Amino acid sequence: MQRDWPEVWGGLILAIVGIGAALYAGQNYDLGTLRQMGPGFFPVAMGLALSGFGLFIALPAFWRGGEGAQFDGISLVLVLAAVLVFGLALPRLGLVGASFVTVLIATLPAQRRGWLWRGVLALSITLVTVLVFHLGLRMTLPLWPRLS
Amino acid sequence: MSTWESLLLGLSFALQPQILIYCVLGVLLGSFVGVLPGIGAMAAISLLLPLTFYMSPEAALIMLAGVYYGAQYGGAVASILLRLPGTPQSAVTTLDGYPLTQQGRAGLALFTAMISSFTGAMIGIVVLVVLAGWLSALATRFGAADYAMMMIFGLVAASTIGATRPVKGFAMIALGVLLGCIGTDVNSGAQRFTFGQAELLDGLNLVALAMGLFGVAEVIANIRNPERQKTAARISMRSLLPTRDDLRRIPLPILRGGALGSFFGALPGTGSTLSAFLAYATERRLSRQPERFGKGAIEGVAGPEAGNNAASITAFTPTLTLGIPGDPIMALMLGALIIHGIQPGPMMLEARPEMFWGLVASFAIGNLLLILLNLPLIGIWIAMLRIPFNYLYPAIIVFLCLGVYSVRGLTFDIVLVAGIGLAGYLMTLAKLSPALLLLGFVLGPLIETNLRRALLVARGDPMVFLERPISAGFVFAIVVLLLFPLWRLWRRKA
Repeated sequence: MQRDWPEVWGGLILAIVGIGAALYAGQNYDLGTLRQMGPGFFPVAMGLALSGFGLFIALPAFWRGGEGAQFDGISLVLVLAAVLVFGLALPRLGLVGASFVTVLIATLPAQRRGWLWRGVLALSITLVTVLVFHLGLRMTLPLWPRLS
Repeated sequence: MSTWESLLLGLSFALQPQILIYCVLGVLLGSFVGVLPGIGAMAAISLLLPLTFYMSPEAALIMLAGVYYGAQYGGAVASILLRLPGTPQSAVTTLDGYPLTQQGRAGLALFTAMISSFTGAMIGIVVLVVLAGWLSALATRFGAADYAMMMIFGLVAASTIGATRPVKGFAMIALGVLLGCIGTDVNSGAQRFTFGQAELLDGLNLVALAMGLFGVAEVIANIRNPERQKTAARISMRSLLPTRDDLRRIPLPILRGGALGSFFGALPGTGSTLSAFLAYATERRLSRQPERFGKGAIEGVAGPEAGNNAASITAFTPTLTLGIPGDPIMALMLGALIIHGIQPGPMMLEARPEMFWGLVASFAIGNLLLILLNLPLIGIWIAMLRIPFNYLYPAIIVFLCLGVYSVRGLTFDIVLVAGIGLAGYLMTLAKLSPALLLLGFVLGPLIETNLRRALLVARGDPMVFLERPISAGFVFAIVVLLLFPLWRLWRRKA
């Protein structure tokens, strides 16, 4: 039987996050009293509630049939990589370099392939970005890669 | 000030060229993004939010509001032509809009969607004007306990009404509230969940959260989605014109949809998506030939489109008069206002009348612009639906990274977007609603502050929530909402 795995895992992760948050808050922050709640009261209560809800999602799903979700790992990894690279490259490669590299990575999972297409798209998006953010909004950003 | 004087003040404010231009820009950008399937009003507002940092708060609010209701107009286009809802609010429109397209009557469906949206919005504006004065008078009697219970009611309503499994909504809200705890606790000064990161002292960045959940996650889910690769066929201008029979069918559904939408839009926790569903169900129930629905009944386009647009206008009532956002989009709007240094609430009508009434006037102007522009621009919107997603999403990624960076100038926030995007994508796989997470994130700190204040004043006695009439009313409503799914479950088994 095909189980509803996305819900099982989703519920379990939520339950673990909830328990973790409640434990961490309970150990590190003052709970206080009902009259004078401390900073720990709300996070502990919410963490416990979340872990309860998470189990409530996961357990019934374990015995119930469901359709497996369409998990697209390649797109996931490459899009996240594109975002991370942009964040890391912006201070070093400047707006032009970071935009160009990010678009190249982002187009890797696209259905249309070919490096010429990627290059042209990266150049045009970089151009639009510079026009909008540098010339239009005058954001203070390094434009070109630092050579030193 | 009488209502007429206030409206005139608003109109003269909103018609200033430096405000009007942002209203036009907002509705155009909103339509543009709304037309694109998979990018809803949430993503549109969070993408454009950083651009508003360079404007006055009034212009920013008017532009973001324009983006919101502009996206509703645009959302219907993709629903009707491709059976891909451009926004979640227009998902119901696919039910009868797409069959009309298959019958070669796409023009009629588009025309009806626009005229219904416009009329629905106008009904919403009237209701908003009436309600706002009344609510802000009532709000002066609201205490901390009442605020806390009203917000909790909103959260419970948002996750139970219309949901098949409320526990999933509760979980997302609890997670959102937990994320909202991150940062410095305003009551005690303690630093919660910051793990020594200075970047987290002010809490998670709202824009980073919204971009990750609605930008990155939606891009990932759409890249290789075969549905998303469809493109639209051309239609002729002549096919936009309705026949006499169509004209006879649409006025009543529009009025009913507008009334329903106005009501549910103003309630906390319910919003334009629910209004559209209810309007559709109402039309089908009232119809003499319910079997026509789902096969291209024009009433099934008119009712929901009027409903979701009316709701998108009246949803501003609790946000602006009480400072309590009723739905996730309003939560984002409230977050935007707070970034601009404005705390909406009962005092706003008194302290900044030009902002409130200017916004109301801009609703009328913006909707008028939308209907005047969208009919001639329909060809452009269809051309946009012919752009493959492959060309669009790399640009979306670059823009959202820059947008997040522009808020505080920290690359930390861009890294955060990647992490939140991962979580958001996993949520869509498990069919968990990121919109409810955002609602919990914005309301969480407000609820905590008001709960703590109420209990402090009452010396720790929880009965305070039942002794105050307003608060007790909300407690009663919460109990009803929680018991209703149980009752339904019990009836099904019996």
